[in-house]
Amino acid sequence: MIRVAAVGDIHMGAESQGLLRPAFDTLPDCADLLLLAGDLTRHGTPEEARVVAREVQGLAVPVVAVLGNHDHHDDQPEKVTGILQDADVTVLEREATVLNCAGTRVGVAGTKGFGGGFVGRSAGEFGEPLMKEFVRYSRHCADGLREALEELRDRDCEARIALTHFSPVADTLAGEPLEIYPFLGTYLLAEAIDTGGADLAVHGHAHMGTEHGMTAGGVRVRNVAQPVIRRAFNVYQLHTADEGAARV
Amino acid sequence: MTDPAGNVEYRVAHLRDRLAAEELGELGVRVEVHGQTVVITGTVPSAQCRDILLRTAREELAELAVHSDVVVAENTSPDHAEELP
Repeated sequence: MIRVAAVGDIHMGAESQGLLRPAFDTLPDCADLLLLAGDLTRHGTPEEARVVAREVQGLAVPVVAVLGNHDHHDDQPEKVTGILQDADVTVLEREATVLNCAGTRVGVAGTKGFGGGFVGRSAGEFGEPLMKEFVRYSRHCADGLREALEELRDRDCEARIALTHFSPVADTLAGEPLEIYPFLGTYLLAEAIDTGGADLAVHGHAHMGTEHGMTAGGVRVRNVAQPVIRRAFNVYQLHTADEGAARV
Repeated sequence: MTDPAGNVEYRVAHLRDRLAAEELGELGVRVEVHGQTVVITGTVPSAQCRDILLRTAREELAELAVHSDVVVAENTSPDHAEELP
């Protein structure tokens, strides 16, 4: 069993230092790794990224993150990524990493993702260049997630997790205004997760949404935006493939 | 003709623009007109953010009744885990 702690949308600023650390210091008692589902800062400035870095530096569990749209606002996502990496955070963008958690190989594939909407109510790659670019970018993120999950399938992982900022399903947006769903996620991410394969999908972004959802292919989805889970992080106890085989 | 600057809907839109553009970078709260009152709901990262948000709302919506249900994010550890068999 893998104990996955996750939170997104912590939106740290100068005055936030130390708010989450007491809870993060309890992680070794209840979790094997911590996932950060993007929007770690408010404006994506290096100063805000340093607050996040100090908040998670030296934790006794590995930390894996994706960036969110807020972390791009200052047009320095590479710098934000570098500051987090310097604090030993693995930052994924259309990439995968494999962690050894208490002897179990856990794969995490991540991308920020993007919007576009859900089947029957989604943007199409048609018309003005900006509109086509919007959908192509979303598809680019989703394709990268699928490829990262496929890479993990070949790396003998006992559990695979998809980590995004934008939502792969509409289920976890319940509570948000319907009109803004296309800005909150895209079915392309869910299709990538179902094609590449995962045991759990974790995202943030939808502050007014709902925690629980599922892709059309049956992969469980959890919205861990801090305003949704109402705590410093949530923990999901994920049974591995070997345990499942043992139970059959 | 009505003065657009006095229209409550546009003033709410301008408040939302300010909340996103200024120091809060806040896109996660809801601002809605309920009769004669503007209701603000959502969760913000700190008490300081809530104070700034409400100060901005009072500036932008001066003379309008503003009701706040904005709460500060909770930073406690969970007391249980969800089991995913």
